[in-house]
Amino acid sequence: MSITPLIHVVDDDPSMRAALLRLLDAAGFEARGYSSTGEFLLEPRSDRPGCLLLDMRLPGPSGLDLQAMLQRENITLPIVFLTGHATVDSSVRAMKAGAVDFLTKPVKRDILLDAVQRALARDATQREAREKADHLRGQFASLTPRQREVFDRVVAGKLNKQIADELSIAERTVKREREQVMAKLNANSAADLGRLAELLQRSTVR
Amino acid sequence: MTPHGSKRQWLGVAHALLIALVLGCVAMPLHAAEEDEHVLMLYGLDPYLAPFLVMDKAVRETLASENGGRVIFFSESLDSQRFAMERLEPELVALLAKKYRALHIEVVVAVSRTALDFFVRHGERIWPGARVVYVGFLGYEFRPSELPPGASAVLSILDVAGTIDIARRLQPDAHRIVVVSGVSEIDKQAERQAREALAKLDARVPVEFLSGLPLPELAPRVAAEPSDSIVLYLTQFRDRDGRPYEPHDVLRAIIKTSRAPVYGAVESLIGLGVVAGSVASYGNRGRLIGEQVRHALAGGPPDPSRTVLAAPNGCVADARALQRWSLDERRLSADCEIRFAYVPVWRQYSWAIALALLIFAAEAALIVALLTQRHHRRLSEQREQAQRTDLARAARLAMAGELTGAIAHEINQPLGAILSNADAGDLMLDSGTDRRDELRAILADIRRDDLRASEVIQRLRDLLGKQKFERKEFDLNDAVIDLESILRAEARRRGVALEIRRAPESLAIMGDPVQIQQVLINLVLNAMDAVADESEDRRTVALSAAKGEGGAVLAVRDRGRGIAPEHRAKLFESFFSTKSSGMGLGLSITRTIVEAHGGRIRVESSSAEGTEFRVELPLAISNGAPSQHPA
Repeated sequence: MSITPLIHVVDDDPSMRAALLRLLDAAGFEARGYSSTGEFLLEPRSDRPGCLLLDMRLPGPSGLDLQAMLQRENITLPIVFLTGHATVDSSVRAMKAGAVDFLTKPVKRDILLDAVQRALARDATQREAREKADHLRGQFASLTPRQREVFDRVVAGKLNKQIADELSIAERTVKREREQVMAKLNANSAADLGRLAELLQRSTVR
Repeated sequence: MTPHGSKRQWLGVAHALLIALVLGCVAMPLHAAEEDEHVLMLYGLDPYLAPFLVMDKAVRETLASENGGRVIFFSESLDSQRFAMERLEPELVALLAKKYRALHIEVVVAVSRTALDFFVRHGERIWPGARVVYVGFLGYEFRPSELPPGASAVLSILDVAGTIDIARRLQPDAHRIVVVSGVSEIDKQAERQAREALAKLDARVPVEFLSGLPLPELAPRVAAEPSDSIVLYLTQFRDRDGRPYEPHDVLRAIIKTSRAPVYGAVESLIGLGVVAGSVASYGNRGRLIGEQVRHALAGGPPDPSRTVLAAPNGCVADARALQRWSLDERRLSADCEIRFAYVPVWRQYSWAIALALLIFAAEAALIVALLTQRHHRRLSEQREQAQRTDLARAARLAMAGELTGAIAHEINQPLGAILSNADAGDLMLDSGTDRRDELRAILADIRRDDLRASEVIQRLRDLLGKQKFERKEFDLNDAVIDLESILRAEARRRGVALEIRRAPESLAIMGDPVQIQQVLINLVLNAMDAVADESEDRRTVALSAAKGEGGAVLAVRDRGRGIAPEHRAKLFESFFSTKSSGMGLGLSITRTIVEAHGGRIRVESSSAEGTEFRVELPLAISNGAPSQHPA
């Protein structure tokens, strides 16, 4: 991927924020700081890869509030939580809600950078999966209504003859449409088709 | 007549009676009733000489006990020893004559020869018809034949033999007896008596008479006597050169230098330094005088057998003189009267001393009791103070537990920044490029954050580590400033909006800053608790420090639902809490602390407006002076 990821640092303590930005910069990352969740949300959304380094305790809406909000908005930016005082309650909530890690200040460089790396890796994976699904959806969209009917039944594990009966078309026609579907979706077998169907289903449900 | 008027009249009568009584007492001798009898004590010498006082007392006692009628005493003193009678006599006689004109004196007691002579010269003019009782010495001062008609006398006898006898008891090994006397008529009479007495002595002890030696010769002569001699002083009114002396002066001069003990046979010499003598006591003389006066008052012709009464002689010794010449007191006869003995004070005044000691003891006990009481009170005050301090500290620790999150945040924040800065610096150095300016900025930030962290720790130590109650002047604003960050951190943690306002002017108060901060934290935490379950617009707490009428006012206000009316009364009681986790010490300690600082705490609460705690603390005296407060 050609675009460098951007790390968003949200911490109300200017000193802490500056130190984190400095460290990330020295470690070769590009980072941007915000003093509150609001300030972060005001920033125009971009599709740039990256992650969120989020202080738990912030003036106004807290880190956990932001996490919940992003989730609702379907924004998958991975979150690494940083807190001055970790409580079992807050850490469990954060991790359950899908945080990459939950770190306590002062945090060691290796641990912080590792967590950032993991967050970026997750972001990349998510992006890749999303792109794959998007691509698949594009391919799926290119299917004719007849081909979609055939696809649904193949995925359901039905034989060509059964499909022909159900659709009241010739078995030969079914066979041809099926080959076309396989070609359009870049699949080699009925099993391949089944996996793709699953992927599609998941990405749309989400 | 009003009751008031009646009372006044009675008072008037009482006054009149009182005045009449007083006047009556004063005037009584002048207008004495016929049955009263009047006796005049006429002293030739100072009547206040100790032996005369003894004698005078005995006279009065004798007459009071033996005479049925009333005897009124008067006294006059010629004091001839100290004042020249010749020059004063005319005026004195005129004065006395005038003084006694309206008063009939029945008996005049003339004490000493001077007094008798005065009476003989002027008695008939001053005290017409008075009979005289003479008090004097037989032999060397006076002869019975010299008594005026109708007079009687109490005479003492010069007991030389008795005196020598006493001397020899004290000094059984004495080798010589030296007798000192003068050459005046009286001296000669005394010496004659002494010679007669000594002649009768069966002793083989040689006797030497030193008669009429001039004082400059006499004193060294006596001083030369060995210490085992007996010196007997009679009287010396005149030496052989015709020089007059005061007999007592001669005695004093001898006593001063004599190594040998000196004796005397006249009571007035006892006390001047002589060891002892056989003398007539003044008490006995007084009693005899009393008898003579009574006889004279009875009227009738003088009883020849009672004209002259002789006072009995007895042994009298001077304890100080005995000690001076190292003479053994136990050698004296048992009935010998020892004067000037060192009677231990506790024996002499045993009752007075016992009483005084008792009072002292009682006073001391009282003082001890009071001191003990005071001590106890102070101890209990100290205990109370210590208890309060301990309790306050325990509550602070509990409070600190509640604040752990905020505290950890406050400390970890700078520590986190430091670590990250250091790591960043490390990475920059690894990169090899010259980023000196950035590194410098990092170091500056590290330094600043380090100080920030240690400041937090210092504040916590102040808050939690201290054991003793401190009393000093401090600004309430500063106490607020110190707590601001930790309170804000806690407020953030709880999602509560905290507003803090300080007074523009100085709020100097006296007391313990830590305890006042405790009050502050406690009230703010309580307020935060009160709004914990409220909607966001009501989750606000306001803390303000201001100057009010009651002094410095610390107010903590929340927008909670208020305190239930049934809880308000018990609000400040220990172990009362509406919270499931609370110990119920917070507000009770808060009030205790506030009251220990001379302040008071009030609460206003309503379910609509929330609750406000107001703490009023008296301003320090020096607050009147303009003081600068850092903005």
